[in-house]
Amino acid sequence: MASHNESIIREPLITGENITYAKVTEDILRPVENMPNRAWWIGFTLASLGMMLWVFAVSWTFWFGIGEWGLNKTVGWAWDITGFVWWVGIGHAGTLISAILLLFRQNWRNSINRSAEAMTIFAVICAATYVVSHMGRPWLAYWPLPLPNQFGSLWVNFNSPLVWDVFAISTYFSVSLVFWYTGLLPDLATIRDRATGIRRRIYSVCSFGWTGSVKTWQRFETVSLILAGVSTPLVLSVHTIVSMDFATSLEPGWHTTIFPPYFVAGAIFSGFAMVQTLLLVTRKVLGLENYITMFHIESMNKIILLTGSIVGVAYLTEFFIAYYSGGEYEQYTFLNRFTGPFWWAGCLMYGNNVLMTQLMWFKSVRTNIFISWVLSIVVNIGMWYERFVIIVISLHRDFLPSSWAMFHPTWVDFSVFVGSIGLFFTLFLLFIRVFPSIAIAEVKLLLKSSSEQAKKELLKEGHQEPEQAEFYKQSLNKFDSVTLSEYEKL
Amino acid sequence: MDSNKKYWKGLEELNNEPEFVEKNKHEFAEPIPIEDVLSSSGLANKTPRRDFLKALGFGVGAVTLAACQKVPVHKSIPYLIKPEEVTPGVANFYVSSYDGHAILVKTREGRPIKVEGNPNDLMSKGGLSAQAQASVLDLYDYNRLNNPMLNGDDASWDAVDAFVKKALGVIKGNGKKIAIVSSTINSPSSLAVIADFVAQYPSAKLINYDAVSYTGIIQANQNSFGKAVLPHYRFDKADLIVSFGADFLGTWISPSEFMTQWVQNRNSKSLQSKKMSRHIQFECGMSNTGSNADTRILIKPSEEGVALVNLYNELSGTTLPGSKPLSSPNAEKAVKLAAKELQAAKGKALVVCGSNDVATQTLVNAINAQLGSYGNTIDLDNYSNQYKGNDAEFADLVAAMDRGDYDAVMFLNANPAYDYYNAKAFTDALKKVPLRVSFNDRKDETSVLCNVIAPNHYYLESWGDANPIEGYYTVIQPAINPVYDTRQFEQSLMVWSDSTTKDYYTYVRNNWDKNLLAKGGLSGQKGWETLLQTGFVKVADKPAGNYTFSYALNGVVQTIMNQAAQLEASGDNKMELQVYQSIALRDGKRANNPWLQELPDPVSKVTWDNFAAMAPNDMKKYGIMQEDIITISINGYSVDLPVLVQPGQTQGTISVAVGYGRTEAGPVGKGVGQNAFPFRSYKNGTIQNATVVSWTKTGDQHVLAQTQTHHSIEGRAIVREATFKEYVKDPSVNSGTGLNHKKYESLWDEYERPMYDWVMAIDLNACTGCGACVVACSAENNIPVVGRDEVHRRREMHWIRIDRYYSFNDGGRAVTEEQEISAMKDLDDVSVIYQPMLCQHCDHAPCETVCPVLATTHSSEGYNMMAYNRCVGTRYCANNCPYKVRRFNWFNYWNDSRFDNYLINEHTHLVLNPDVVTRFRGVMEKCTLCLQRIQAGKLKAKIEKRPLKDGDIKTACQQTCPTNAIVFGNRNDPESEVSKLLRSERTFYVLEELGVEPGIGYQVKIRNTTELEA
Repeated sequence: MASHNESIIREPLITGENITYAKVTEDILRPVENMPNRAWWIGFTLASLGMMLWVFAVSWTFWFGIGEWGLNKTVGWAWDITGFVWWVGIGHAGTLISAILLLFRQNWRNSINRSAEAMTIFAVICAATYVVSHMGRPWLAYWPLPLPNQFGSLWVNFNSPLVWDVFAISTYFSVSLVFWYTGLLPDLATIRDRATGIRRRIYSVCSFGWTGSVKTWQRFETVSLILAGVSTPLVLSVHTIVSMDFATSLEPGWHTTIFPPYFVAGAIFSGFAMVQTLLLVTRKVLGLENYITMFHIESMNKIILLTGSIVGVAYLTEFFIAYYSGGEYEQYTFLNRFTGPFWWAGCLMYGNNVLMTQLMWFKSVRTNIFISWVLSIVVNIGMWYERFVIIVISLHRDFLPSSWAMFHPTWVDFSVFVGSIGLFFTLFLLFIRVFPSIAIAEVKLLLKSSSEQAKKELLKEGHQEPEQAEFYKQSLNKFDSVTLSEYEKL
Repeated sequence: MDSNKKYWKGLEELNNEPEFVEKNKHEFAEPIPIEDVLSSSGLANKTPRRDFLKALGFGVGAVTLAACQKVPVHKSIPYLIKPEEVTPGVANFYVSSYDGHAILVKTREGRPIKVEGNPNDLMSKGGLSAQAQASVLDLYDYNRLNNPMLNGDDASWDAVDAFVKKALGVIKGNGKKIAIVSSTINSPSSLAVIADFVAQYPSAKLINYDAVSYTGIIQANQNSFGKAVLPHYRFDKADLIVSFGADFLGTWISPSEFMTQWVQNRNSKSLQSKKMSRHIQFECGMSNTGSNADTRILIKPSEEGVALVNLYNELSGTTLPGSKPLSSPNAEKAVKLAAKELQAAKGKALVVCGSNDVATQTLVNAINAQLGSYGNTIDLDNYSNQYKGNDAEFADLVAAMDRGDYDAVMFLNANPAYDYYNAKAFTDALKKVPLRVSFNDRKDETSVLCNVIAPNHYYLESWGDANPIEGYYTVIQPAINPVYDTRQFEQSLMVWSDSTTKDYYTYVRNNWDKNLLAKGGLSGQKGWETLLQTGFVKVADKPAGNYTFSYALNGVVQTIMNQAAQLEASGDNKMELQVYQSIALRDGKRANNPWLQELPDPVSKVTWDNFAAMAPNDMKKYGIMQEDIITISINGYSVDLPVLVQPGQTQGTISVAVGYGRTEAGPVGKGVGQNAFPFRSYKNGTIQNATVVSWTKTGDQHVLAQTQTHHSIEGRAIVREATFKEYVKDPSVNSGTGLNHKKYESLWDEYERPMYDWVMAIDLNACTGCGACVVACSAENNIPVVGRDEVHRRREMHWIRIDRYYSFNDGGRAVTEEQEISAMKDLDDVSVIYQPMLCQHCDHAPCETVCPVLATTHSSEGYNMMAYNRCVGTRYCANNCPYKVRRFNWFNYWNDSRFDNYLINEHTHLVLNPDVVTRFRGVMEKCTLCLQRIQAGKLKAKIEKRPLKDGDIKTACQQTCPTNAIVFGNRNDPESEVSKLLRSERTFYVLEELGVEPGIGYQVKIRNTTELEA
């Protein structure tokens, strides 16, 4: 592969010196093959406490009824569907990274796709728990599935967006799972080859007898491409359909044709923010700075800026259409986001999602790890509030003022939400212990062409245009994992 | 011919081989090792240990698993001999009467499950109040006494009888007095029993004690015309009604009757003939009646009398000595204009006043006499017997008891220990009476002080009669055997007075045979049976005489002015306080009825509480917020009440409802709100409802459970109204059905409705917001009561609610937007509109498209159905309902101990309508247009082999509505009443522009505000 020298002006995707294939494997598998460190244990304890809270709160709900939540006759959905849409949205980044960026040959995705995909799966699991637990009779949760049954000729209502949702989410989950697992196969084989005893046997089964032959690799590549093709429409369709839960209704604030693209952009926006939140911590704790570099961080920030701006335009459009349509209920709904009793939620939504992300126009912000991390959290809070605003503020004051009501969450609402975060992190922390959090095989692909040391070789060979070489050196300034002093000699 | 052919099965047989011959001896060709199994290796062998353990394990496991499920034991006892009149699944209706109203009691399998107005009832024509609708639940209230009590312990009837008779015997000997204290009895038979008792014990006396009495009117009529009666008011004959604080549509004397009368000059029929009465209300707090008035003027209680004096002056052209102008120029002007209008409407005008003061009512009589109302709008000859209580009589009784004149006192449906203004004086005096008997149905505040409690039957278990209006006699017949070990009080009195008649049924029967049947042209067994089917007899009305008023008014005015001066509050912490009866609880006797407690007050929409209603401007002035608790005190009695912002409350006044703060009502009513009866006072021989109190802020708060917390329509055209003047010019005014009405194309396919298209028309001009429909619906459709906390969380389950909107008038412009209202200074001029809201049964229902499991679908008869069994509870339908009429079962109300207190228990399960399933937790529900009634109506028509007629089927809400504001029927029949109404120019559909095609049409509210405002 050495012949495929990449242009010198491209920033390196792997930094560090003396990176060999063996070192890549060593680095990435360190958390899998060793006892967990203290940070992991602290995180895992907290997360599993959260998960237990979730189990408790959901059991409480199942035992006593949905009445334990703060919902009422006017506000029939609140934290439940807010949480559902939030989690589904978060999942979207994984699919976008693994599918669309693969099709576009964005090699930088190789370092982050594994975690992002895992995050997708865990987020969809969290979302699915909301789907079931928000039901009045969760033990009948299988009824919205078009299953053959003995209830007569009972079928589901194909007009209902909730049925579309069932299809969308289940397809999304299964495709994401297959895609993720397929990608894991060569890495599982790597672990298998290095493991002994029972671990070897388990990973052997899990790796489906991967041999590493050329034929296997060729098929692997083909399947990956096909799955990427299958997944790509899902990136757009899933949140489109989720948005139709609202867009096809009559509620002012929901009944909006702009929702599909707006929701998809919002989903990618929040998904990337969540990837950012997780990876900034992971790379530090697991010592993966060389594989998840500043380039990755900045790229993700750029996507966050782009999607955040799309979302901002969507917000403005909503306000304009509310004004322009002359629909008095819709106009009131949008004014109510600022002037009503939930004005603070409206401010959090618009402030966090639009105003705060505009800071990312500044390179110094984009390349500052701490600010990036804070902003990623800000975005996720903002996106949670976006769903809260759309769902609760629209519902709480709709057509007939006699029914206007407030929504007050109960401790169960809090616990289910906090608990779902606990569930997510429990799954994620378990994931980084048993599976490589970076796609080893895919990163190795980049080593010869796109790594810092390869570029350094190129510079040493000295056939590069001086301007380009200088440009490259300049671009390294932002990296926290590059020793700049060495380049002065070159 | 013999066949010599021989068939063989095989060569072996043909050849007869020895081997074959040997085998042929056995049944089976091959040997079966059965012997071996049974002998050696089988049974004879020892069971191996492992096999034993396996069998044991399986056995124990299987038995354990089988025992896991507790098999429910359902005890159901079928009819061994089916009673002739009971067919399981078919309801029986029995005539009876409630508070004098002829009613029908619906029973199923021997259980009364619903009370309905008798359509032939002369008073309210089949309409019934919320209280009457709720009364059926009290039958199954397990807090009623299950047996008689003697000295605080359960006792047998024999022991009670022996004790009482012995005590009465002693009294007969010593000549001390006996009092029977009862809320008004107008039953001829009961009165006869009491007369018999008095004959036996001559020192006994019946004292009518009404918690809220009308002594003022009765005494005023005695003064004015020499007739100490409560007149029969005829609002139907009045073109102009001026009411001074009389809540005649809500609580005053006979509200459901008055509603029926009042609406006759205001309903669709009247409007179509371009006729509408005018209703002016002068009042202090916003009453249900005031909220329905065309013009409402705010006056303080202290100025009510002054206003009447001024009105009299204007009408008569004289100036009574001591007159003075009203403090409010607005009210002063209104009185003058009202006088002008009254002059013009002479003979067709009616002035009523809610005061219980003799002097004030005497002046009202003078005004009505001036207007020629007697013989027209006021009937003194066919008078009312509904309230006969005399406050002075009871006050004298308390004094006499205190002196020790009485040795026995008996209470029937009277609870002075709770509702007397000076309960302490009463209870102290009661201690000095040796024999204290209560006939009350429960251990209430008075009963606990009695040494004998002889619980009376509930009216649904009783025989009896009533005579609410002179000449109108209704019968009470039992619809069920007594639920508990109670005894009718008449029976008790008969036993104690050694009556020759052994049981009260015979007594009633004899009384009717002798005295009453003939009045209706009936006689004998046949006549009695006819009565038990028609429910009442009516003597032809006497001609209502015109009475001339000739009482000297100078002294009257002096009294009025003196009292007014006493009522004027001075100082910052003093306010005029008026007590009133709430629509739901009235005098509080039914405080343990959860249907009533959960019925939102028509005006304030508060449930499960009373409160101090204050004017918004007063609250601003004193820096009080809604739900702040204030302490109100008078003469050593004080209560802590949360404040409610009440637009339309006169500034400087507080209104508080009585009927709350029961201490011994039962778990439902106990401790709900505060008792306001002690704020009344006894003056000039009557109990007065207004007083001056001092109040202070406490700094605490108390949450009020309101079913509606936003009160303005925000400029939306969801309720529509017009003035009568505009209506006369253009009947389609403001309904949107005029020339500019835009009809949009629908994108949806129309459903086929080949036979019926059930729809409803609701007349906003007829609806007074009384809430009877809400309770009727609860009773018909098994709607659970959820209690205060859940109502506060906005989770009440009522399928029909009555939206109430305020609109403020700012120089003739209606202000309906929250932000504008908060900037307004003058918040006194407020108008109210009511809108019953229930499932609109949209033809293109938004709920139907979004349900993932098709649990809510459209019927071929035009209504929207809900399949509870299919519902998984996503609540999407409720979110997508623009009317927010869908109700979710947040909890398993019917089987959750947390809701036991709301009488959702096995006793009250007996009141459930078996035609309507109770809903499980997690399921959506909503108005079904009483489809069980539709089904029953269709079946009835089918059995009678006739087509369904318009009016055969009435929904529960329609059935009970005293003003017929709700009309239900088939839109496919162009001649049906509902079709005609929906074609009327006044009809509009709420949120029509959404294209959901609601099936419920509303008719524009018309206000007859022409003259005064001009």
